[in-house]
Amino acid sequence: MESWSFEAIGTQWEISAEAPLDAETRAAVTGLVSEYDAALSRFRSDSILSGLSHGGGTVSLPRYTAELFSLFDSLDRLTGGRMNPLVGGSLELLGYGPGYRLTPQGPAAGAPPWPEAVRWESGARDDVRLSLDRPGTLDVGAAGKGQLVDLVWELVTGRGYASVVVDAGSDMRHCGPGLRVGLEHPFDPNQAIGVVHLQDRALCASATNRRAWGNGLHHVLDASTGLPVRAVAATWVLARNAMTADGLATALFLTDPSSLAAEFQFDYVRMFSDGRAEYSPAMAGVLFS
Amino acid sequence: MNSKKPLLTAAAGLALLGTAGCGSTGTAQDAASDEAAGASTPAASSGTASSGAPATGGQYQNGEYTATGSYIPPSNTKEEVTVSLTLSDGVVTDVEVSTSGNHPTSKRYQAEFTGGVQQEVVGKPLDEVKVDKIASSSLTSSGFNKALDEIKSEAAR
Repeated sequence: MESWSFEAIGTQWEISAEAPLDAETRAAVTGLVSEYDAALSRFRSDSILSGLSHGGGTVSLPRYTAELFSLFDSLDRLTGGRMNPLVGGSLELLGYGPGYRLTPQGPAAGAPPWPEAVRWESGARDDVRLSLDRPGTLDVGAAGKGQLVDLVWELVTGRGYASVVVDAGSDMRHCGPGLRVGLEHPFDPNQAIGVVHLQDRALCASATNRRAWGNGLHHVLDASTGLPVRAVAATWVLARNAMTADGLATALFLTDPSSLAAEFQFDYVRMFSDGRAEYSPAMAGVLFS
Repeated sequence: MNSKKPLLTAAAGLALLGTAGCGSTGTAQDAASDEAAGASTPAASSGTASSGAPATGGQYQNGEYTATGSYIPPSNTKEEVTVSLTLSDGVVTDVEVSTSGNHPTSKRYQAEFTGGVQQEVVGKPLDEVKVDKIASSSLTSSGFNKALDEIKSEAAR
């Protein structure tokens, strides 16, 4: 296996395949990642989405964002509004925004209701037109990194490479010979709590330990209150693509697996802050005991 | 909502029959059957049609079809999914799904999605666990492994 590593969108990427990626493929990957970041980053004041933060309005986004917003529509509905990209404004209030102030900017506040505030549709010019009826900060991070992993994986496999694994800060999309993936203990990075077998699908993890900035503040918020969630410490989701796995990994902080299983096919492990863990049937035997 | 689950499970079984490897780049625009394709690792499949067989040109003959797909979940206990469906004028009029449920928890798959609860997770030092990658929230396994290597080499002094 040949692998290529680089840093982008604030995380480490590793792409491996049976054969080394040629220069043209690497350039295409780099271009795709930059395009995605320029369109959707909440941390760039010049991104297309950031254009909505002052007066709302309508923006034109790449065509593939239709899948992303469709996923967010479902997750907002299935979590009863607790998972909502407009939580970006609540995150900024707590200090997690451009400039990384990491000190609260005011009292916590819930996000505006997603279905009321946002309209989106596939546009006539092969794009997606998204309108926001008020100034707001959209944070697509809950599934966006996963979607970018998928887009990169599709680009590389589409060029004929075999056994392609795209890993962006441990959001992974895989095909080829199976891998053993350790589930990092959310309270001790020197330990794993189990091992899953990853083959021909995606694995994404979410935990509240990494992006935390003190006094109970971390990056997974309940959009209805604007406050960090507490009971769930870490989640791991296996699904057919990384966008879905990424989104569900966050959703599992906010709702029960059974409500998500009504519309999504996935496997999961989720660990609570009291040390308890629960898992889907196919994950039996994955956790150490 | 619950009535959707057997259908999703059925889709998973059917997808086993036609899932290619790397090349099948399913996108989120695909139908729910594709959504389900990733649910299991295709290992082997066999199909039998009790009456009629698919004709060419996208037309399907009426009849009752049964197929079995197998997969190896991470528990490493081989499971089989058998799907029976009835086709009438190109429309699925009846679907039945049964699973082998070799692993005790698999039996509950269709009824209940939470397979189990462990009262206390057990952490094992990574030294003792052979893995290809680590799934953490936002740290790469390469960075993780490098940090580990550093810790190990320092500890070994």
